[in-house]
Amino acid sequence: MTAVLDAPAPAETKNALVEVRNLGRIFDVSKPWLNRVTERLPRRLLTAAAEVTFSIDKRETFALVGESGSGKSTVAKMVVGLIAPTTGEVIIDGVSMSNPKHDADRRRLRRRIQMVFQDPYASLNPRWRALDIVAEPIRAFGIAQSDAETAKQVGDLLKLVGLDPADGAKYPHEFSGGQRQRIAIARALACNPEFIVCDEPTSALDVSVQAQILNLMRDLQDRLGLTYLFISHNLAVVRHMANRIGVMYLGRLVEVAPAREMFRAPKHPYTRMLLDAVPDLDLTGRKRKPVEGEVPNPIDPPPGCPFHPRCPFANARCRVELPLPIKAGAATVRCHAVEEGRI
Amino acid sequence: MTAPVLSVRNLKVEFPTRRGILTAIDDISFDIGPGEVLGVVGESGAGKSITGTAVIGLIEPPGRIAGGEVLLRGSRIDNLPQEQMRKIRGKRIGMVFQDPLTSLNPLYRIGEHLIETIRTHSTLSESAARKKALSLLEEVGIPAPDTRIDNYPHQFSGGMRQRVVLALALAAEPELVIADEPTTALDVSVQAQIIALLKRLCAQHGAAVMLITHDMGVIAETADRVAVMYAGRIAEIGPVRDVIKSPLHPYTKGLMGSIPSLTGESDRLVQIPGSMPRLTAIPSGCRFHPRCPRAFVPCPTFRPELQPEAKSEVACWLYHPFPVQAEAV
Repeated sequence: MTAVLDAPAPAETKNALVEVRNLGRIFDVSKPWLNRVTERLPRRLLTAAAEVTFSIDKRETFALVGESGSGKSTVAKMVVGLIAPTTGEVIIDGVSMSNPKHDADRRRLRRRIQMVFQDPYASLNPRWRALDIVAEPIRAFGIAQSDAETAKQVGDLLKLVGLDPADGAKYPHEFSGGQRQRIAIARALACNPEFIVCDEPTSALDVSVQAQILNLMRDLQDRLGLTYLFISHNLAVVRHMANRIGVMYLGRLVEVAPAREMFRAPKHPYTRMLLDAVPDLDLTGRKRKPVEGEVPNPIDPPPGCPFHPRCPFANARCRVELPLPIKAGAATVRCHAVEEGRI
Repeated sequence: MTAPVLSVRNLKVEFPTRRGILTAIDDISFDIGPGEVLGVVGESGAGKSITGTAVIGLIEPPGRIAGGEVLLRGSRIDNLPQEQMRKIRGKRIGMVFQDPLTSLNPLYRIGEHLIETIRTHSTLSESAARKKALSLLEEVGIPAPDTRIDNYPHQFSGGMRQRVVLALALAAEPELVIADEPTTALDVSVQAQIIALLKRLCAQHGAAVMLITHDMGVIAETADRVAVMYAGRIAEIGPVRDVIKSPLHPYTKGLMGSIPSLTGESDRLVQIPGSMPRLTAIPSGCRFHPRCPRAFVPCPTFRPELQPEAKSEVACWLYHPFPVQAEAV
């Protein structure tokens, strides 16, 4: 589709640190070649992300929300360069992450980007002491001049995330989940990055520990001037953390809006449905709209707007034509119903 | 007041280990009335799942019930022989677990699961049981049940599997359903559907529910009463509105404040310092006192018991006269 390229270019603000342009990733999930030949099976391609466009300003938190399979982790991995995009590009501080001309700049850029993962039980090497885990980026990037300086920096980092520097001698299994996530954050901060991608950083933690980690992340952002790309399925957490939010559905961004705006007046029917599905803690007796259906299989997505089978506002056009991003107030939405003023 | 469906009296569960006996649950008591939904909420390690497993008599040895009793409709079930307990499980107490993929056998069709359960607990014929299975699947909202009944669990999505598990739990018309984190593995939109379904089904079948979860939102939407657990004890138990709107125990207050909300100002979250104690190092007195912002004289020494306060019951010395000796300490 040529429509792909009509996505509005990200606002060319001077402050944009990260620009994601038309990013897409297709995974080949076909059976092995011999099986395909003998069983006469076609290739099977899974579009994990398509036409994802957004930008993140310096010192801003941009959140991606969506249900499982919506492609939010795939986008996160492409942004840090853990997987290569099939289409589009990621530009960080003016340096393209895929353009071979920028190879030298990109190497320098690596130090400024870090990632915090969801499961602190899996992301820390169980055979390494906490201080070695935190020291690894310092050694890898040659930041400290001597072992003594490395040790001092590790101690400072552990203190920064609220741990005792003496805890550095312990192994990961001696820490609780929240403490492990603090170690993961200390490791991410070890090379003085500017931009941190957090993929569900609190989803494996209990609420009281989650509160500690979220507060810590906000304090660190204020102190160190960090920029976050924050991935989560939890809308309340996202509301607490983000300045701007992108909602993903089946690999596409269906709505991008400032956080306040999105929670006050969600535009896309999927965003409305998501907000409606969050259990009500305030006991306002709010009537829920019945939510129907589940996320379709991304290998075989519905034609037209991917949300149309679950959408209460879908019409004939939605079933055949993929909606393009349009401006609606402060938000950018992909929805025919919004465009036509039906909702 | 009508007789409770489930009564737990001074239940104590222990796990002997090489390093001594770990007390996972220490002296807890609660009731669930007919048709009532009791939410049991707490963070990991609070003992909420162990409470559920103790009620259905599935504590893995060497773990054991070391004291107290569990009564189902007034008769003890915690000391029954395995054979009799098996007849109660499934028949009088239905169970829903967190992960619907592991609670269904991948080698059996959905229909075989249901028919087996129905026939174990009734005298229905194969064809009558199949008919009942079909109506159950329809009731839990599985589209085209007559074709889906012959599918295998892997052919269902997570939400659909959890619906099947609900159908299984309700197959024998149990008096009590124990649901342990039934929606934790699901996405929010599907979670809302399953909560609504669980609520509707239990109301229709008149089953009492013990809903174990870490998610206060799920409790707020579903439960009539809620028990807040901390380190193997109940800190506070009361009507859901009171516990959520005006929590009494400092732990409940901290817990409620630490949940990011969809409304109101998004300032700093309330933070409870520290983390849940490990079972090997349970603090003396009130188990929450090392983390409690309002701990005072009696807290490190004397264990508070649940006592009525407002419409709830709370185990905290802030609300009760503490033992006189404490002042001498």
